[in-house]
Amino acid sequence: MPLLKVQDLRVELQTSRGMVPAVRGVSFALEAGGTLGVVGESGCGKSITALALMGLLPDGATTSGRIELDGENLLDLDEAALCRIRGNRIAMIFQEPMTSLNPVHRIGRQIAEPLRLHRGLTGANARDEVLRLLDRVGLPDSAKRIDAYPHQMSGGQRQRVMIAMALSCAPDILLADEPTTALDVTIQGQILDLINELVEESGMGLVLISHDLGVIGETSDNVAVMYGGAMVEQGPAGSLFGQLAHPYSQGLFAAVPRVGEAHDGPLQTIPGTVPELADLPTGCAFAERCAKASDICWAQVPAMELVAPDRQREHRAACHHLDDRHQDGAVP
Amino acid sequence: MTTQTTVPGFIHRALRHRSFMIGLIFTGTMIFLALLSLFWTPHSSTEIVITQRLKPPNMNHWFGTDQFGRDILSMIMTGAQTSIVVGLIAVSLGAVLGAALGLWAAARRGWTEDVIMRLSDLNMAFPVILIAILLTAGWGPGITNAIIALGIFNISLFARQVRAAGIAMWEREFILAARAAGKDDLAITFEHILPNIISVIVVQATISFAVAILAEAALSYLGVGSQPPNPSWGRMLSESQSYIFLTPVIALWPGLAIVFSVLGLNLMGDGLRDLVDPRLARQR
Repeated sequence: MPLLKVQDLRVELQTSRGMVPAVRGVSFALEAGGTLGVVGESGCGKSITALALMGLLPDGATTSGRIELDGENLLDLDEAALCRIRGNRIAMIFQEPMTSLNPVHRIGRQIAEPLRLHRGLTGANARDEVLRLLDRVGLPDSAKRIDAYPHQMSGGQRQRVMIAMALSCAPDILLADEPTTALDVTIQGQILDLINELVEESGMGLVLISHDLGVIGETSDNVAVMYGGAMVEQGPAGSLFGQLAHPYSQGLFAAVPRVGEAHDGPLQTIPGTVPELADLPTGCAFAERCAKASDICWAQVPAMELVAPDRQREHRAACHHLDDRHQDGAVP
Repeated sequence: MTTQTTVPGFIHRALRHRSFMIGLIFTGTMIFLALLSLFWTPHSSTEIVITQRLKPPNMNHWFGTDQFGRDILSMIMTGAQTSIVVGLIAVSLGAVLGAALGLWAAARRGWTEDVIMRLSDLNMAFPVILIAILLTAGWGPGITNAIIALGIFNISLFARQVRAAGIAMWEREFILAARAAGKDDLAITFEHILPNIISVIVVQATISFAVAILAEAALSYLGVGSQPPNPSWGRMLSESQSYIFLTPVIALWPGLAIVFSVLGLNLMGDGLRDLVDPRLARQR
């Protein structure tokens, strides 16, 4: 049984235009020690999926489907039970380390919070544990920094603090929502390496959300590409990056500028913009931006199908034109 | 925000903030006189010396005497006690209950918030003087009813301010991070929301204190506040009215006492608002 199994997760958000589907049938499984990279543009439902896993959706949101942690459906639990799981069994790291820490409390106290809540550690025991965590996440001079306020630290240091906080109760699953987006490129690498090390060392499952293909490629065993609130392609990183099947994945990959490559003309883009979630087309959400779109694309939502049925690997994509791929040779 | 302020930095900026310092001096003088009057006043504030009535200021009675020959300076000093006690209790009552309701409304939102805020609107529709007169009609005039009336009025003021600041704080990312760490709404309210909006409460308390002093004076002036023989600035003002053409100066002293204490507290409140919110200070 996988550690985390998400089945047909659907989320609707309350907006001024009524209930809007933000996540439309996301399914995946995560084994202990496994890493899943979720990639997609802003507004594709990545972050809402993560918040749904934590049970932290905004007021008025409705959820359906199943989120099973060790076989227990989290969507059936009440708020008190979820509070015992959050920070304890599932922890989360956020995009903005500059604003994710409370400015009025010392960082030591903030890291100790989950320890106090879930492990009952207080006083010197908690402080020792916090020091150990700070050393583990590579914060220099931890004995002094434990009493620092967040504004006295840099972005990278604060993200290390956030990671220490997330790891404090040795969670089974770590959700990292764009953990390096707000950081300098050099710091990004260090933080990603740290997350990778910690995942390997502790055997927890990692869900890494990013719009950065490089970040996903470096860390993940499995990759899921999201578009318009649904997964359009997912599979093992090697097989997926080796043979991008969905036109959106291909476009996303082609749009990444590469250092050292000569550019004649402008950077490649995907024409159009992300559709408003309130007025998604009846068929494939990507149809209006897709060069291959045909009548069936507009009429019918494509199902997830094995990209290469002859192979054993679980690489699937949701496109009506999967078979055209061979003629195009559109593998970047 | 308040949060980036270190204590020495705060003191340094406070010392350079002119209107805050003026307010602090006025308020400090009032508090000092009230404390001093607990141990010493030039004369007894209630002793009637009929031969000395309506004397202009002189070496023995610095501020002169009233229609019963009581020493006005002593009465002003003792009257400061009344003002401070009324202000302190009324504001504490309003701040504690109002902040609790405001925090609750901000944490719960939905119909809880609606009920709290509409009740607060209803409460604010009644002017404080009217509440005091209603209470007086029920339980007779007295300082306690004045305090209760002012306290009830302040509950709405604090509830509104705290709710607004609290809702803004709930939207901050570190609150989401705290929820992700497994904290429930109650813990987040007290550990994360309240410490971040305490400056709002302090500023409101300073301003409300000034309003309370003014309202107490008004209530005593109308005869529904502090009762004789306890000296009160408002009653001194109303009693001096009859003698205003005979000895105008006796109406001047309680008037000045009210003006300076209210002005002092308002300047201090405004100054505090600047000092705890550097963005506002820079705009001025």
